[in-house]
This record gives sequence, structure tokens and C-alpha cells, in this order.
Amino acid sequence: MEPKNNNCGCDSVSTIWGAADNLPDRVKKLREEYFSFNTREHFRNEATAFSTGEPWDSVWSSSNWGINPEIYTFFTAIEDSLLAGAKIVKMPGEFWNEPLPVRRARFFSQVIQKHLPVQILDGEMIVGAQFNTALSKTRTQKEERRFKKLQDEWFEKAKVHNELGVGNSGAVPGHLIPNYKKALELGFKGLSGLIREEMKGRNSARKRDQLRAMLECCEAVQGFAERYAVEAEKLAGGEKDPSRRIELLEIARICRKVPWNPPDTFHEALQALWFTHMLVMAAESYPGPGVSYGRIDQYLYKYYEKSLSQGMTRGQAEELLMCYWIKGNYAYDYIGRIGNNQGINSGFGQLVTLGGCGPEGRDMTNDLTYLMLDVIESMNMLEPKPNVRIHRNTPPELMKRVCDMLAKAQGAPFLLNFDEASMRGLVWQGVDEKDVWDYAPVGCLENTMQGNDRSGTVDVNLNLAKAVELALNEGRDVATGRQLGPRTGKPGGFDTFEKFYTAFNRQLDALLDDIVGTVEIADTARAKYEPVPYLSVLVDGCMESGRDVTAGGPVNSYITVEGIAFATAVDSVAAVKKLVYEDKRISMAELVEALKSNFEGHEKTRQMLLHRAPKYGTDNDVADGLAKEINTRWTGRAFRRKTGVTGRRFRGGYLSWNYWISYAPSTAATPDGRTRGTFLSNGIGPVNGMDIKGPTANIRSVGKAGLETAPNGASHTVSLSPSLLRDPEHIDKLAAMLRGYCEQGGTALQINILDPETLRQAQKNPEEYRNLLVRVTGYNAYFVNLGREIQDEIIAREAGTI
Amino acid sequence: MIDKAVIFNVQRFSTEDGPGIRTTVFFKGCPLKCTWCHNPEGIARKPQLMWYDVRCIGCGDCVVTCRHGALSAGESGISIDREKCEACGACADVCPAGALDLIGRTWSLEELMDEVSRDASFYKTSGGGVTLSGGEVLLQHEFAMNFMKECRKAGLHIALDTSGYVSGGIFEEAIGLADIILVDLKHFDAEKHLEYTGVPLEPILKSAKMTADAGRPVWVRTPVIPGATDSDDNIRAISRFIAGELPNCERYDILPYSNLCISKYERLGMEFIHADTPLVTQQRMEELKAVAESEGVVNVVIQGLTVRGV
Repeated sequence: MEPKNNNCGCDSVSTIWGAADNLPDRVKKLREEYFSFNTREHFRNEATAFSTGEPWDSVWSSSNWGINPEIYTFFTAIEDSLLAGAKIVKMPGEFWNEPLPVRRARFFSQVIQKHLPVQILDGEMIVGAQFNTALSKTRTQKEERRFKKLQDEWFEKAKVHNELGVGNSGAVPGHLIPNYKKALELGFKGLSGLIREEMKGRNSARKRDQLRAMLECCEAVQGFAERYAVEAEKLAGGEKDPSRRIELLEIARICRKVPWNPPDTFHEALQALWFTHMLVMAAESYPGPGVSYGRIDQYLYKYYEKSLSQGMTRGQAEELLMCYWIKGNYAYDYIGRIGNNQGINSGFGQLVTLGGCGPEGRDMTNDLTYLMLDVIESMNMLEPKPNVRIHRNTPPELMKRVCDMLAKAQGAPFLLNFDEASMRGLVWQGVDEKDVWDYAPVGCLENTMQGNDRSGTVDVNLNLAKAVELALNEGRDVATGRQLGPRTGKPGGFDTFEKFYTAFNRQLDALLDDIVGTVEIADTARAKYEPVPYLSVLVDGCMESGRDVTAGGPVNSYITVEGIAFATAVDSVAAVKKLVYEDKRISMAELVEALKSNFEGHEKTRQMLLHRAPKYGTDNDVADGLAKEINTRWTGRAFRRKTGVTGRRFRGGYLSWNYWISYAPSTAATPDGRTRGTFLSNGIGPVNGMDIKGPTANIRSVGKAGLETAPNGASHTVSLSPSLLRDPEHIDKLAAMLRGYCEQGGTALQINILDPETLRQAQKNPEEYRNLLVRVTGYNAYFVNLGREIQDEIIAREAGTI
Repeated sequence: MIDKAVIFNVQRFSTEDGPGIRTTVFFKGCPLKCTWCHNPEGIARKPQLMWYDVRCIGCGDCVVTCRHGALSAGESGISIDREKCEACGACADVCPAGALDLIGRTWSLEELMDEVSRDASFYKTSGGGVTLSGGEVLLQHEFAMNFMKECRKAGLHIALDTSGYVSGGIFEEAIGLADIILVDLKHFDAEKHLEYTGVPLEPILKSAKMTADAGRPVWVRTPVIPGATDSDDNIRAISRFIAGELPNCERYDILPYSNLCISKYERLGMEFIHADTPLVTQQRMEELKAVAESEGVVNVVIQGLTVRGV
């Protein structure tokens, strides 16, 4: 099966549900305009490069894209073509006497105040169009040489990791929640006031430089917004439609006010928020991945409430939000030319968080929560990506709204984040219990704090199942024979399970140490040579410490290691324990031979591994016990490590993006019965098709894995047959299942409603779909055990054709 | 004290056997022989062997292992000689692929309590609990009573899904332990009832009335089998009984015939006389629902596989 992927590695929204029929005309037009990438000659938000023109200049960093191995071979081409097409922004002579952060700030300031094209699309209420950039790194020749040296060093290792299926790593931008709340409350005027205050203290030279750089960025924002005010006025002058003319003049007024001054109305707040947000993408030269909003229904509420009291209707607020919703999708124009645009195949994850608890578990859902869900449902666009926080006190109305949307969408309109489990992890990590309620996820489901946290949530992706392969092959990659890990001895010598398990753990430790050491090179290169002072203004801790957001400045500063193929590793260890050591049904020699030959001629052995061993995801205490041990051990080891230069601690998580597919061919056959090339397990979930005891058992297995030591959180997908959502009675049961998840499950869940195509796949590959349950009153059957004709009938029924 | 029972399935996340999210325990053995039975593996009390063609890899280990000479391998896979098979399970144990499955195994009370307690959180959030089903659970009444007592101690909500064809004293004790009773009224014509289910109707009606006397909430269910139970008259008669005699009835489920069980009959070497029966249309179910409602039955629910259109 070729899954539709978003960047959680879960099946995604895709095109399953269309836009509402009753969108306002303005919104309909703007939405269609966005989806017409190939024909809208008047506007494309493609990456515009700006260079200092120095011969050594560089405008793009491959290590920023280190976790996108599919473009490794294009790295040089991308870098060269961007540079070749770059506009030259000549900087004055004294520029080069300034330290790097100031240079970066000044260059950014020049570009946004003078060069970045300004454009207002017809009919839009929220303005700010061009934000995809490739900005000069403004390094001196010497700095450039040093940077390149580090980057080359990183890439040599990264390439090997990727080729051999170990994983990947990079210094990835985005993936944080800027302090938008504070930026709205103070305006950039207020923020620059804070910087000036900080400047009065006794500061090191480095801190003074950093503060100076940050101040320049703040001030540039005012000039940038002024350009939009001027453009709006110009358009108003030539506008024939009197109502649009009024709108444009209002836009001009707003752009003169925000984001320099704090907004007062809902419209002002949305405009301020968009400018602030789009400039983060412009400053990092990164099209949105993971630049997340946090609890948008909370911090926008006071503006919403105020405007309502001043006469704005709920409908007007909805239209403004719809206009806003389109904006973030333009990030996809970055890759428009290569056909991957418009969010069909991937997601950038400008996450918005809705609902959730406040202090003492009090619920924080408000009217804006519901209004935004309405907008999400009517718009059906990929950005911003919604994540709904669920907790013990989530009101029944919100739960019902969420479940109705799930039932209607026949897909996954959002991810669900579970507060209690998420907060346990963050407290374990060290967040104060009294603050933790205000956490929010970034990207997909990666838990961070808001406005003061960069936890590098996707910087490292490690294939845990590779350690199984190495343990059974003396530390060598099976396909190439290359020595990857320590020589832990011939498997024939593992006369007890403990010896095998020790070898596995040693291999995993070595892989972890190696990949963590590799990312540290990329992180160091970025910290020293790639500051982003504009973003540093928006992340608490940077001002106080005088350290850039890339250099460990934020209050919470981690690098997350995302474990891939967790269940594949757990089931493999469990199968060896049970069948080789306890039941002695398979000898170690036979197992090793079977794995090396990819089970060819060893089908009986493979069947036993599949069917006669305990499986994670079935609420089996043996498998789940191993899962907990493996999880806590490697995540604990990661957490004990810190980077040298940036002082960032490593923390664990489980998010597999599409690596559970892409590393399947480079991971040898595994003792859970998986052949080389068969997909690895996804996120924290069980191996495909192994959750044969239904969703509650699946949920409990995940809940028992001890996830607090993986404070990033864990991606979990549960698939349900549409028949479970067929009427209000059953939709209530889904709501109850989600409430049960609060008590028993993990941190984040995607509900995936099976479609007929999945059932057809199950007919073809029954082994991967052993878990598919068909439910009719008083009767439950596993789909794959049914006769062919009956299967056809069920498929026809789910497809709505009978 | 009897602390063991023969059970053929413990199904978690059951959403169709009573209120909320439940774990349904299917007890093996049934005094009824309904011709449309959709869990035919629940009829015989003894364990039975099933062979799944889709799983079998043809290794032949089972044939070698069988001490009773009950298994043979042929062109169409493994054949089971049910005269010889003693359902000892040796073949199922040795099968690497899980293609041979012994339907029905002995569970201890302790083991069963561990299993049904696991989803307690979900019972709480959904108003669900444990459903005792079958087969006919009260054929193993001593164990069932003990089990229900343990569930009560553990605070688990109990649904008793029973045919009602049980002797009075046992039935009375059982309904006293359950929170809700699910009872089937399949046919209201005594002769037809005997013909289709193999047992007389009268004791079942008596049991149903006992639930009313005891004031226990009841859900009544009628399988709507074309040509057997699907007439207006039948539904009308059942509905009158409910409206007149069962003030404790909270809900009346009419369940359209389903053919999903065909493969089970094949695997058990049993004949299924309804194999060619067409599914019921949604419209026909709506008509029957209207019949029931016209007799004064409230909360009539259509649950199951129907065909759209006419």
C-alpha cells in the first residue's frame, strides 16, 4: 500500500473531503486562486534568493534539510541554482566590520524593507504575500570556509546513516512556537523596548552584538509593514468598487498600526499575527515546516471578544479567519515547480492548537475554538494544521464536535493531543508543574512549551530496528557487510536471552551515540554560523541570555531524537526471547540463517515468528514489558547527553514521518517475521496488522510503554471501520474511547477511518491486515478470515455501492 | 466451586452487544439450533477444530502430529475427519501459521477476570462493561454466576445475553446478578419457533416475563431472517408482547439477516441453509420498524447489514 503521508507518517487528510459549498465568494475565489499554482502568473511565492554578491556567498544550507534524504542528491543543484538566480543586495562597506548576527539582521532588514516583493491579492483581507526566501548567510570568506568544513563533515556521516538505514539528522529550522502572544500584546515597539532595557545591563560583547542584531530586526518590521500600507493605498486609489476601496484603506490603516503597535481588534490581531509569522519563514528561509502557532484560540480570544462587543458579527470573524487560513498554504509554492505543491502529498505543519486544559485541569475551550473548527471543516486546506488538545475535562460539546468531524470526514481532519500524558512527559523533562498546562505541539504532535522553546523536534531520526539487525550480525550491516556497530560476537554464542539482549542494547547505544554525535556537528555549524536574530526576538530566553535561537538561547533548548520502527524492534526482541530461548522452537542458527536469506526457504520459521510470539499492541504484558524497557533505556541514555557548543540536551520521541517506509529496504529481515522491504512500524504504534485485539488493547500497549521518558510525544494511529461511526450511538462510543485514551493511552492520536481501498489491499495482503475487524450486531469477524465473496460484499458496502 | 468454563472468544472493544464499549465473553454450547445462527462455532459444547485456508502454508506438520489420524492433506488443503478428531489441540499447537485453530478453550475464572478488567477505563467512560454471550452462557451457569459475582465485586457493569431457554431457578438467579439482559425473541409462532430453533417458545416467553417481574432492564432482539422471521405478522406479534408484557424493555433491536458467517459454516463442516438468502433492504427494515412502533414499542433500532434501495 502506498500511504498518503503527512509529516507525521500518518495517513493524511488528502483530498477526501471537499470545501463547503457555502464559502463566501471572496474566500472561494482566494481559495481557488491558491490551488491554481500553474496558471497564476501574477503571483507565486517561490523561494526568492538574495545574496550579498560576494563570490563565496551562500544562501542555502544543506544541513537545514538533512532529514530530507530524498533530496540529498540534489543538494548541490539546489544550492547552485538558488545562488545563480539570486538578487544582489549590495551592502555598504562598514557592513563587513560588523559581527555575524548584526550582518544577518541588517541584511534581513534591507531585504524586507526594500527588496522582498510586496503584493496584495484581489479581495484578501489579510495581506503579506511573498515570504519564501533564500537569504544570504552573510558570512565572511573565513566563516564560510569553516562552516562548509563542518557541514561537509556532517554530510559524510549523514550519507552513510541514510544509505544503510540507520536514520538521518540535520539542523532543521522551524519546529517551534514563537511567542506570538507576547508579540501581539507588546507589538514590536514593546519588544524593542525590552531589548533596549536589556542593553542597559552589564553585558558581554557577544550579548551586546546579539541584542543589537535583534533590535535592528524589530525596527525593520515597521518599515516592512509600511510598504504594505503604501501598496494598499495605491490599490485603493485605482479601485472602482467602493466597498473594496474602503477595505483597502482599512488594510492600510492596520498595516501602519501593527505589528509595530499592539493590535486592538480581531482584524488587527490577525494581520499582526500573519506579518509576524510570515517573517519567521522569511528570516529562516524555510517554508513553514513546523513553525507553529500554539494555542491560537486562547491568545486571539480577547481580540475576538472585543471586536464582537464593538459590533463585529461571528460571520465576519469567520470570513477573516478563512482569509487567514489560506495564507499559510502559500508556503507550498516553495516546491510548486516540482509538482509537490498544494499540500496533496505532504504537510508543512504550521500547527494550530485548539482546546485543552488550563491550570488545575480547568478546561479552556472557548467560542473561538468552535469557530476555528468550523473554518477548518469548511476550508479543507492542509495549513494551518489543526491539533485538538483533549483532557479529562474536555466538555462534551467539544468532544461531540470532534467526533462528528471525524465521522463526517472519513479521514483525519486533525490530530488529537492528550494533555495528561503529554504533560507527564514535559514535567519529566523538567518543565515546572505549574506552567506545563500551557504547552502546545509543533509540526505534527511534538510537545514543546510556547514561546520559549526550541527542541529540535525532528532533528534526529533513528531506526531502532537497525540495532536488531546489527546484534544478529556482529555489528555489520547485512546487505553491505559494513561494520556499523561494535563487534558484539557471533549470535551462536548468545547462550542466554540476556546475552542477546545485551548485544542488542550495545548496538542501539552505539547507533544512538553515533547519530547524536553527527547532529551535533550540524547543530554546531548552525549555532556558530547561521544566526536568526529576527526569530530570536520572538523566543524567550534569547534576549536574556544574549544567545541566538540557533545557539541554545531559548529557555527550553533540546534536540529530539525520534525513534523509528519501535514496535518492529520490540516484537523482534520478544520473538527471539519466546521462540529461541523459552520455547526453543527455533534455534539461533536457524533464525540467523532465515534472516540472512530474507526467509526464502524458511517460511515455517517466519510463520512461527509471526504467529507464535507475543506482539506489542495486543495488551500482552510480556511484549509491553519489553517495550517499556527498550523505550526507557534508549530515551534515558539520550537524555543524559548534551551538546558541547549549544548545551542542548537530547530527548526522545516517536515520529516516523515517512522513514518507516523509506528505511524498509535498507533494514534486513527482522525476527518479528518481517521481510526486507516490508514497512517498519510507524510511530509508537504496533507493527502493521498486529493489533489483533482491537483498539483498546492497542491503546493500552502504547500507554504501558512508559512514554514520559519520551517527552516529545509519540505518533499513534488507530484505524477504525466506518461502521463504527455509522450513527450517533456509535459516535458516542468513539468519544468514550477517546476519553479512555486520556487514562490509558499515549500522547497523540490520529483516528484513521478505513476506506474501501484499504479493504481491497487487505484482500491482497491479508498478513498485514490481520487486525481489521468487521462489526455487525452480535458478530465480529476479522476481515482477512472471511471468504472472498463476503469480503467483496463488505467492500461494496463500505464504498456505498450496495 | 466450578472455576473453569469453555469459552470460544473474548472480544474486546465490543460495540454491538449492549451499551457502551464492552468486552464480550462467548461461552460455548447452546441448546438452540437456530438455522441462521451466525456463531455456529458456539453451538457445540466441546471444542472444535477449524482450518483457515488463507493462513495455511502447507507444511504438513499437523498431519504428522495428529495421533488420531483425523487430518489429511489433499488438493483442497487440510481435511478434518470430525469422527476421529478429539479436539486435543496438538495440531493447533504445532501449526506455525495459526491456520488450525481450536475453537473453545478452558478459561479459569482468574484468567477471565484479568482479561475483562483490562478495559475498565473504557467501560467507565462509555457506560459499558462485560457482556456474557454465547452460545448460551447459562448452560455453564455455575461458572457464569461466579463470574458475574466477581464482576460485581470489581464494579463492572454486566450484560447478560441469553436465549432465555433456561430453567426458571437458574434464570432468576442470573438476572438478579446482571445489570441488563439482552434476550432474543425470534418467532412468535410456537410451531415455527420449534421448527427454526429446535426448542419450544413457551419457556423463553416465561423467562422474558420473569425479567419484567424482577424489574430488570431488557433489550429485546429479533433477527430478521427472510422467509423465516421477517413477516409483518411476526414482528407485530413480538411487538405486542413487548408492549404488553415487558414494561422493562428499554430497546428493541431488529437485526437484519447477515451472511458473514458462511465461511465459519464451511470451516466447521456444517451446512448453512440460508447461504443463498438475500440481505434485507433498508426499506424493508424501516417498514418493520414502523410495524413495531405502531404496536407501541419505543426505541426500535435497526442494527446491522442492510442493502440500500428496494
